[in-house]
Amino acid sequence: MVDVAVLLSVGRHPVSGRARRAPTDARALELALSLPPGRRTALHAGSPDSPALRDYLGMGLAELTVLPMAEGRDPTDALVARLRAAAPAIVLTGNRAEGGEDSGTLPYSLAHALGWAIVPDVVALTLNEDGSAELVQALARGQRRALRVAVPFVATIHPAAPAPRPSAFGPARRGRITVEPVDAPVDTALAACAVRPWRDRPKRLTVGAPGGGSGGALDRLRAATEAKAGQGRLLVGPTPDEAARAIYDCLQEQGMLPR
Amino acid sequence: MTARRRDPRAERATRVVPSDGPRLRLALTALDSAAPVSVRPRRDPRARRADATVQTAPRLRLDWTGKTLAAPVTVPLAASGRGVRAAVEPVLRVIDAPACLVFAVLDRADGALSALDRQVMAAARLLADALDGAVVALAPDGPEDWGALGADRVLPLPAAWSHEHAPESRTAAIHAAIARLSPVHALFPESQDGGDVARRVAAMAGERLFAGVESLSAQRVTRRAGGGARELSCAPPRLMSIAADAVAPLGPVRHEARLLDPVTAEVPTPTLGPTRRLAVDPDGVGLNEADFILSAGNGVTDWAAFAELGRALGATRAGSRVVCDAGHLPRDRQVGASGTVVSARGYLAFGIAGAPQHLQGIGGVGHVIAINTDLHAAMIKRADLAIIADAQAVMPALIRLMRERTHG
Repeated sequence: MVDVAVLLSVGRHPVSGRARRAPTDARALELALSLPPGRRTALHAGSPDSPALRDYLGMGLAELTVLPMAEGRDPTDALVARLRAAAPAIVLTGNRAEGGEDSGTLPYSLAHALGWAIVPDVVALTLNEDGSAELVQALARGQRRALRVAVPFVATIHPAAPAPRPSAFGPARRGRITVEPVDAPVDTALAACAVRPWRDRPKRLTVGAPGGGSGGALDRLRAATEAKAGQGRLLVGPTPDEAARAIYDCLQEQGMLPR
Repeated sequence: MTARRRDPRAERATRVVPSDGPRLRLALTALDSAAPVSVRPRRDPRARRADATVQTAPRLRLDWTGKTLAAPVTVPLAASGRGVRAAVEPVLRVIDAPACLVFAVLDRADGALSALDRQVMAAARLLADALDGAVVALAPDGPEDWGALGADRVLPLPAAWSHEHAPESRTAAIHAAIARLSPVHALFPESQDGGDVARRVAAMAGERLFAGVESLSAQRVTRRAGGGARELSCAPPRLMSIAADAVAPLGPVRHEARLLDPVTAEVPTPTLGPTRRLAVDPDGVGLNEADFILSAGNGVTDWAAFAELGRALGATRAGSRVVCDAGHLPRDRQVGASGTVVSARGYLAFGIAGAPQHLQGIGGVGHVIAINTDLHAAMIKRADLAIIADAQAVMPALIRLMRERTHG
């Protein structure tokens, strides 16, 4: 038996802007549902009326607890109190929200307030007999790193984790949404920020940038207009063994071969 | 109330640049007598003309190429010729009594500074210069030219942290350093491990982290939020993490890089166990995050050898659109405009001609090796090593060579 709490937020579709399941939170729920049976606590801090909450219930969740609060409120204290009361062994959530501040710092403040360990960017989780868990972290370039952590802990889920199951209509209708009123203070740091619509900026040129060392306007023009061409070593009609040796040497020079 | 009357003569007097040249120099704005006038040496056209003068009688002869110059030049800039700026060794800048400190916490992963680490240094330099402060570089110890990176002070952390995963000890050390030196700003790289440590430090200090700064000036920092739809901006807070390619790296500078006493901090109860790297199945890795891709095009017919070569090289297999259309590889293995745009470091292409849509898909690849029978294929032009041969002959030879080298 393992008790798992999942923190779910409402995402935002990048094209239509509609509310949806936040991709990494849905993966966290998927991971929680695939663990051995036990109590599952799903928490959402925000509006209880969002249609995306039903999508989470449609993944096979019986009940979802909502701590109602308006946008711009700080959910940390309310979530800490609720998690202390539920006392789960594992807290899972996405590594980045989608549609709020999106800074990925909330799991860290929760873990610090609860005094638990935190492991970011998890893609797989297996439980041991002795109350510890084997976690696999995703690194850049498809690499993976394994580590062992004792429960209780907080883990944030990476986008490379297994894809969430689709939401089914029946369970989405049947699932219960429980509202537990809480007091949430206004997030003063967020309120101090000016908000504007995002506008894409031109990409920063690294070649011939002013003050960037060598190069000038000519290099900058060249980098912007010329297609990237290779170094252009060319072997015409070598024997297969010569060709293989050339490829091998080249790969070794680049450090691509397994050692 | 009427405006104060301007005094043009007094205004002009404040703009006069003191110099012993033959003519009067005026600055564009009012001069602060303490500040240096300009960084670039000024061109002196009269001296240039005098240097270019070969003879004056019987008629004037000028040589602007600078080749026949016998006399030593008076102005150093004139000697370097038109349009060529002389490489200037940066002057050492010592900041003895800084008004404040700015921390640059660097990853230095695998014992080398990344491009993002350098950008964090540049961002710290920008903020420190605006506040008359000094930059403190906090990084795992190692042989780096910290002065040329723009560090006024260096606070070395244990060198082992550049290779091992120790977020809790790093957090404790950085938190202790922040408590001891109380910097105005502490900047972190928004890399995987750097961003992790930044958030841990923020949680431990009970402060807010301004994560993933996209643009930065001394007055304002911005970041992306709201699912990528909104931009948050405010005055630079204390803790920030810098996104990749948000700040231009520094030009040539020379700073003091004075060593500070290392901090000692202990983790009360380490909660994370030791880590180990896992062997990954290259074909299980998504194409967008693959490091080394073995790709097949229409010129490949021997699929058994192709699969074996993929295993022997430890490369992720992929293919062009034609190959995926024919069903030789699944659709999620397609490279190109309608498949995946890849950013691998190495790309080994067998029998790919290089359609524009395919070349678009490999725009971000570091090193391309192409094997094709057509000398005039576009892929041959793009490749760093191009081999005009039949893929079916080269693949078994490469497998044989790999076996010899790994077993012998």
